[in-house]
Amino acid sequence: MTQSGFIFDVLIPMGKIIAVILYPMIMTIIMIWLERRVVALMQRRLGPNRVGFQGILQPFADAFKLFFKEDIMQTQADRLLFRVAPVMVMFSSLLAFCFVPLGEPIRIGTYRLTLWIAESPVGLLLVLGLSSISVFGVIFGGWASNSKYPLMGALRSVVQILSYEIPIGLTVLTVIFFARSIDLVEIVNHQLHSGIWFGFMLPVSFVVFWISAIAETNRAPFDLPEAESELVAGYHTEYSGMKFAFFYIAEYAHMVLVSSLVVIMFFGGWLAPFPNVPAFAFLKVVPGFVWYLIKIMFFLYLYVWIRATLPRYRFDELIRLAWKWLIPLSLVNFIVVAVIRYVL
Amino acid sequence: MSKAGRFLKSFFLVDILRGLAVTLRYYFGRKVTIQYPEKVQPVPERFKGILRLYKYAEGKPLCIACKACQRACGTNCFDIEGVRDPETRAMRPVKYDWKLDRCTFCGLCVEACPTTPKAIRFSEEFRMATADKSRLLFHMEDMYLTGPELQKYLRGGSKP
Repeated sequence: MTQSGFIFDVLIPMGKIIAVILYPMIMTIIMIWLERRVVALMQRRLGPNRVGFQGILQPFADAFKLFFKEDIMQTQADRLLFRVAPVMVMFSSLLAFCFVPLGEPIRIGTYRLTLWIAESPVGLLLVLGLSSISVFGVIFGGWASNSKYPLMGALRSVVQILSYEIPIGLTVLTVIFFARSIDLVEIVNHQLHSGIWFGFMLPVSFVVFWISAIAETNRAPFDLPEAESELVAGYHTEYSGMKFAFFYIAEYAHMVLVSSLVVIMFFGGWLAPFPNVPAFAFLKVVPGFVWYLIKIMFFLYLYVWIRATLPRYRFDELIRLAWKWLIPLSLVNFIVVAVIRYVL
Repeated sequence: MSKAGRFLKSFFLVDILRGLAVTLRYYFGRKVTIQYPEKVQPVPERFKGILRLYKYAEGKPLCIACKACQRACGTNCFDIEGVRDPETRAMRPVKYDWKLDRCTFCGLCVEACPTTPKAIRFSEEFRMATADKSRLLFHMEDMYLTGPELQKYLRGGSKP
C-alpha cells in the first residue's frame, strides 16, 4: 500500500469516525451549559458561573460525577433489556450522524474531502428511521426497570412519538417534492441552485416540522415522558451512573440531529445567506461548516428558549394537537405543495 | 374576540411568539441573584441575628451586671457575675457566659435590659455555624466580637 493510499483509505475514514463520535459529545457538553445558563438568565437568575469561565466547565463536573457514581440495578429488573436499552438509544442517535453531512466537501489539492461518513441516496429516510429506533430503547428501559413510573413514561413516549411521526413524514415529503431527492446533500445543492431556502418557500412545513420535532425529541413543552412533577424522571428513573448518562447524551444528540435536519432541509445547510446574490458574496469568506454550526446553534438555542417560555402540555392536549391540528394541517399542506409542484 | 379571530390567533402562534418575546426581554433584563460569599443581602431592620454586648462610644461597657437578662431568659442561657467598681461605685460584669446552643432568639433578654442604649442586643450576623461544639459557649470577651473576628472564634482552630 502506498503512503497516500494509507492516508486516504485508513486515516481519513478513521478520523471521520472519531469526529462523528466526538461531535455529538461536544455539542452535548455545550448544550448542557447553554441550557442551564439560558434558562437561568430567562428566569432572572445567573445559573452556573463558578466552574471555569462563566461556568463552562460545569458539564465536565457533572460528567465526572456520573462516571464515579455507583451503577445500580434493582434485583427485579430485566437484566438483559435493562443493559441493552441505554446502548440502543445511544447507538441509534450516533449512527444517524453518519449520514448527516457536517459541511460542504473541502478540496485539498486533487483530493475531495467530504465531511460525511456515508452519502446515501436515501439519507433522509435513513436518518428519520434511525432516530425512530431510539423509541425502542426508551420502551425497553421503561419495561426493564420493572417500576411503575418508568413504564408510564415509556408508554407516553411511544404514543407521543407515534403520533408526531405522521406530521414529520408528511412535511418531509413536501421538501422531497421540491428537491426531487431524498439525498441530504442533494437537498442542500438544490437550495443552492434555486437560490431560496425551503424554509421561506414552505413556511407551514417548517413550523409543523419544528413543532413535531420538539415532540419527537421529548423536549418541553412536550416533555411528558420525563415530566418531573408527575413521573419522577420518566423512563430513566431507575437508571444511574453511566447508563443514565447514555440516555442523557442521547437526548441531546437527538436534539442536535433534529436541528441539523431542520437546517439542511429548510435553511440551506452549509450555504451562506443569499448564496446567489452577488452583493452578499463576501459572506462566503466564512467556511460553509461555520455557517452550518451557527444555524444549528440557533435552533438549539430555540429549543432552550421554547423550554424556558412554555409550560408543559397536558397529555390529552398533546394528542389533540397532533391529531386535530398538525396532521390535518400537514395533509392540506402536502396536497397543496404536491399540486403546485405538479403544475410548475 | 370572534371565533374566527381566536382561530387565526392560535393558527399564527401569536401567543407563543408573545411569550417568547417576554422571555427574551427577561434574558437581557436585570438579574436578581446575589452572589453570596462576595455579596451579602442586607438583613431586615428588626432581624434577630446572634446576640452581642455593646459598649459606649468611648469604650466603656454598657452592661451593669444587673442580671435582668439572666432572670428573663427562658432557657438559662446566661451566667453572669458582677463586682462594684470601688471608684465609680457602679456595677461591672466580670463574668458573662452565654450559650448559643441554648438560645431560642426569643428576645426576652433584650426587652429586659434596663440600660439606655441597651447593653445586649441582636446583631445582624446570621452566620453562626461551627464545627466545634465548645465554641457555642461565649465568654465575656467573645460577646463583643463581630464580623471576621466572630467567624474566627466560631471556627476555632479548625480553619483560618
